[in-house]
Amino acid sequence: MRQKRSEIYSVELSGTKDIVRTDQGDDKEKYRGLKNNCLERKKKNQEEDFQKELQLDDHKLNNRELEKKYGTNIIMGLSSTRAAELLARDGPNSLTPPKQTPEIVKFLKQMVGGFSILLWVGAFLCWIAYGIQYSSDKSASLNNVYLGSVLVLVVILTGVFAYYQEAKSTNIMSSFNKMIPQQALVIRDSEKKTIPAEQLVVGDIVEVKGGDQIPADIRVLSSQGCRVDNSSLTGESEPQPRSSEFTHENPLETKNICFYSTTCLEASTSPIGTVTGMVINTGDRTIIGHIASLASGVGNEKTPIAIEIEHFVHIVAGVAVSIGILFFIIAVSMKYRVLDSLIFLIGIIVANVPEGLLGTVTVTLSLTAKRMAKKNCLVKNLEAVETLGSTSIICSDKTGTLTQNRMTVAHLWFDNQIFVADTSEDHSNQVFDQSSSTWASLSKIITLCNRAEFKPGQENVPIMKKAVIGDASETALLKFSEVLLGDVMEIRKRNRKVVEIPFNSTNKFQLSIHETDDPHDKRFLMVMKGAPERILEKCSTIMINGEEHPLDKSTAKTFHTAYMELGGLGERVLGFCHLYLPADEFPETYSFDIDAMNFPTSNLCFVGLLSMIDPPRSTVPDAVTKCRSAGIKVIMVTGDHPITAKAIAKSVGIISANSETVEDIAHRLNIPVEQVNQRDAKAAIVTGMELKDMSLEQLDEILANYQEIVFARTSPQQKLIIVEGCQRQDAVVAVTGDGVNDSPALKKADIGIAMGIAGSDAAKNAADMVLLDDNFASIVTGVEEGRLIFDNLKKTIAYTLTKNIAELCPFLIYIIAGLPLPIGTITILFIDLGTDIIPSIALAYEKAESDIMNRKPRHKKKDRLVNKPLAVYSYLHIGLMQALGAFLVYFTVYAQEGFLPHTLINLRVEWENDNVNDLEDHYGQEWTRYQREYLEWTGYTAFFVGILVQQIADLIIRKTRRNSIFQQGLFRNKVIWVGIASQIIIGLILSYGLGSVTALNFTMLRAQYWFVAVPHAILIWVYDEVRKLFIRLYPGSWWDKNMYY
Amino acid sequence: MGAHPQPHLKQQLERRQPVWISLYYVAFYVVMTGLFALCLYVLMQTVDPYTPDYQDQLQSPGVTLRPDVYGEKGLEIVYNVSDNRTWADLTHILHTFLAGYSPAAQEDSINCTSDQYFFQERFLAPNHTKFSCKFTADMLQNCSGLADPDFGFEEGKPCFIIKINRIVKFLPSNGSAPRVDCAFLDQPQELGQPLQVAYYPPNGTFSLHYFPYYGKKAQPHYSNPLVAAKLLNIPRNAQVAIVCKVMAEHVTFDNPHDPYEGKVEFKLKIEK
Repeated sequence: MRQKRSEIYSVELSGTKDIVRTDQGDDKEKYRGLKNNCLERKKKNQEEDFQKELQLDDHKLNNRELEKKYGTNIIMGLSSTRAAELLARDGPNSLTPPKQTPEIVKFLKQMVGGFSILLWVGAFLCWIAYGIQYSSDKSASLNNVYLGSVLVLVVILTGVFAYYQEAKSTNIMSSFNKMIPQQALVIRDSEKKTIPAEQLVVGDIVEVKGGDQIPADIRVLSSQGCRVDNSSLTGESEPQPRSSEFTHENPLETKNICFYSTTCLEASTSPIGTVTGMVINTGDRTIIGHIASLASGVGNEKTPIAIEIEHFVHIVAGVAVSIGILFFIIAVSMKYRVLDSLIFLIGIIVANVPEGLLGTVTVTLSLTAKRMAKKNCLVKNLEAVETLGSTSIICSDKTGTLTQNRMTVAHLWFDNQIFVADTSEDHSNQVFDQSSSTWASLSKIITLCNRAEFKPGQENVPIMKKAVIGDASETALLKFSEVLLGDVMEIRKRNRKVVEIPFNSTNKFQLSIHETDDPHDKRFLMVMKGAPERILEKCSTIMINGEEHPLDKSTAKTFHTAYMELGGLGERVLGFCHLYLPADEFPETYSFDIDAMNFPTSNLCFVGLLSMIDPPRSTVPDAVTKCRSAGIKVIMVTGDHPITAKAIAKSVGIISANSETVEDIAHRLNIPVEQVNQRDAKAAIVTGMELKDMSLEQLDEILANYQEIVFARTSPQQKLIIVEGCQRQDAVVAVTGDGVNDSPALKKADIGIAMGIAGSDAAKNAADMVLLDDNFASIVTGVEEGRLIFDNLKKTIAYTLTKNIAELCPFLIYIIAGLPLPIGTITILFIDLGTDIIPSIALAYEKAESDIMNRKPRHKKKDRLVNKPLAVYSYLHIGLMQALGAFLVYFTVYAQEGFLPHTLINLRVEWENDNVNDLEDHYGQEWTRYQREYLEWTGYTAFFVGILVQQIADLIIRKTRRNSIFQQGLFRNKVIWVGIASQIIIGLILSYGLGSVTALNFTMLRAQYWFVAVPHAILIWVYDEVRKLFIRLYPGSWWDKNMYY
Repeated sequence: MGAHPQPHLKQQLERRQPVWISLYYVAFYVVMTGLFALCLYVLMQTVDPYTPDYQDQLQSPGVTLRPDVYGEKGLEIVYNVSDNRTWADLTHILHTFLAGYSPAAQEDSINCTSDQYFFQERFLAPNHTKFSCKFTADMLQNCSGLADPDFGFEEGKPCFIIKINRIVKFLPSNGSAPRVDCAFLDQPQELGQPLQVAYYPPNGTFSLHYFPYYGKKAQPHYSNPLVAAKLLNIPRNAQVAIVCKVMAEHVTFDNPHDPYEGKVEFKLKIEK
């Protein structure tokens, strides 16, 4: 049961991604188009469904009609038999877990992705070659069978590795999926029963207590002080009251419907908030269920890095196949046997395919993922590591991401003055003037007229982190006064509460009467807070500098100005007033009666205003600035009110201090909005209502024309529309969110970022990345790491591609000039999967060359991972130099053993002839076949060492792309040296340790041959330094354009 | 794009870029080719013209057989005594091979009689070379092809010529001449008697004065010494495997990987 529940919100972890990934590697463009169309259509249907479902009308029906519609009885509930029938008809009240791709399919996909196809082809060619050989000669050597098996082994090993890596990163998330099975209190057969929430059916009458989750979509029948937290659904951070009245056409707005999986809040009032309601939708048919299916219907786009790797695979595979076929044709036309030509083809493919590279990329990405996890960015999908780096637009949720998700006192108004309160996370720096005696009175009201209390047993917890019983505003006031005045509970004890009237929506005020803490003052103090205009109505005087002044027109006007100003900041404003009850009329023994109201509630003394807001996190403005300088547009998308949204946007810098919206300009110039030149406005605030009436083109126009955009009052599917709009601009879009309502957009985004603390499970499941500290600033870290990894992957790929030429040339020369084969296929595999692995991973540890946060995000279609300069420079410059260096080692070995270079030309046929056992060398010495073969292996080893030595130089030059190595520092990246050491050690082991194993074709090489290629290695270094120097000296020149990768 | 103030200049620059880069590539490849040629030149200069720097693979000489006719696996000689077409090719191979050992071909070599190594420190021969010892076909007596142009193939007692590979400055033994020893590889049970061989030169030895070899440049007229083995008791209509080993202290014939090192194995089937 627990197991099953835990999957409730698994809204497709990587299912859809996998489907899209199927056709990676094989270029079935047509197919892909088809598939996308299907997905698109499917998604549209779902959106329509969603819209339709929202037109539910249960909130408009009265109780009688409801009973009739659902065949139930409000007092007696459903009968057990009827419930069982309905359960059988509708299925359990739970979300259908998404279809998971079977593990075996995931595994097999790894076996055919990327270069694997090429290697499979190579392996099959090997076996076919053996088959042909065997059919003509029963004693054919098994070499080709071995080679084929080795290739298959390579494919399987890299596939297993990639599968393992992916599985590991997916498992991180399983910890999030722990949910406790829910119980529901239901009336059936006129009895109250507790049943698992899964067994609820429509028509059930349920009772929900404060603190419980709503077990299904319910129509409220009766409610006592119930408030629900809809923030995960609508993004409103304030708790919403619920009652049985029909208040709004929109089912999402009306008060008489509670939604599945939202929470009924624990209220401080007694009796605790309870709600009785009728189940109107269960399981997948609930609003949440629809959003969840909306999310799973949204196809996860291929990550940018996946596109780049695919592009790179295509380039390399293209080169391999075309060179292979070209030389196959050349070989055949040079009268080589077809069989031999086939074997050349295999050699060329193996030489061209960087077998180890995809594994290296995976490791590199997971290293970065680990590094990011340390900085509180948990990456679920490895490829998403880079996506943040190429992000050009961040669509951020407001509540919880940009803000602290708690009400906090932001401003105060007393003595005709507005004071700013510190809203940072710890409130430590309250600087406003606290000397006025008005403040003393105000603070007393704040402290006393408050029912919130700290939960016991939190003595050592910092004030701002203490848990509080009470609603958001009261909590804010409690913490505010605790910080400023010290122990609030002690103050309350000293001013014993005599009587109180709690806040209710009809009164719109809260009142309490206290004894004073001055033993000589026998008067009672009445304190009151509430909606400012209501409070002002009850007042006849106003306190200024501790003295009561009559409330005249002008003071009323200053009050209104202040009220409007604070309200305009998107803040919730409360008014405070008090009255000392005269001791003669209200002696110590007076018995107050709240029902009879035997005390005055007018002609009070107005003390001040206090406004609260869910303030931005202190790190956010800085992070937004950083995003700006990194060329990333930050768009706020929230379900909250436009005014609040704008205020927060301004305070975090999403709307910068000097930019105006069209409305601002109109207000400033005092002209109608229509007359304002749209181009003058830099910022735009778009509400969900406006968005609804917009065409896609209009939306595109807004997204393209405004630098600073805030979307307020948006619905889940509008979020999706916004994300799609951004993606139409060719932007890489990151979406942050925490609510269930965010999950479709999270899924649709190029990278979805969920909040780890506040985030709902649905959001976390739909996201590619989870911010463990809910901090927007962590995104900046992610961007930085993502950009760095992109740069470093370029370096890794350039490093890896270089040696391909050095591995390929031997085959070409062998075919054309008939030299004894300089390097064997197995030896190539030892380079690709042996000596080169650790160095190419080491490049992932390279530090950034310049401030990567000061440049624009890369253009998805222009700034490719593997571009022309990279391929050309690696293949035709460094690769060629490396090939020449390796050939020099090869020629040296042969020459010193007796075969001078010119004697080698066209020697191939005789050299490889088993029946020639007295082949003459330059000195007239005669060689048997085995003696020649041994020399050939020595040649392999020499060529291998030649490549190895020059790859060390290649590794060092790849540390930077523009700067000199000396600017970057040779020793800053220690891992590079580990890589170099590993290269040398593996080389030594292969040559001297395994030199006697004939199957590996390595021999013990004389020590001096290790140094033959060193001058070439130095040449490579010098050449690259010169290249970088000219790039730095002449930016924008033809050199820069052709040589900078 | 069109609003660029100097579109003309920009276009010109852009048009010139491919030229620059092509020129650069030409220059780059010329320089690289030159560098590589230079490297090879330096390599050639450092290589000793007379003696190879290393002989890692040539620790022990290979041994080859004439006539050299190969079957599926190694040397395999099959012929029918009564059908001279089946062995005409074989004797032809021997004749061709021995043509290099005619007195005319050996004219430039000297006659050596010593049974000791023929060490030559200095280049005393004409054209700054060293002397080579004569080996003429007639030294192979009955197998020289002179007296018996059929090399005994016709009578079923064929001659095989065994040649030892040249290795510069290789000394096969410490004083006694290397000797060829042929035997059945797996003694056939039904024969019951060992292989009877007549060796030419007598005892089947390579005289020591043919060693050491000083390389093609120092000894341009050098010819490998030969030993002929006339197999006298080959059974008819049965394939026999024969191995001829070179017996000398510094010649090894037990390398499991190299079947031609210090020995030569062949299969022989004489049909009737």
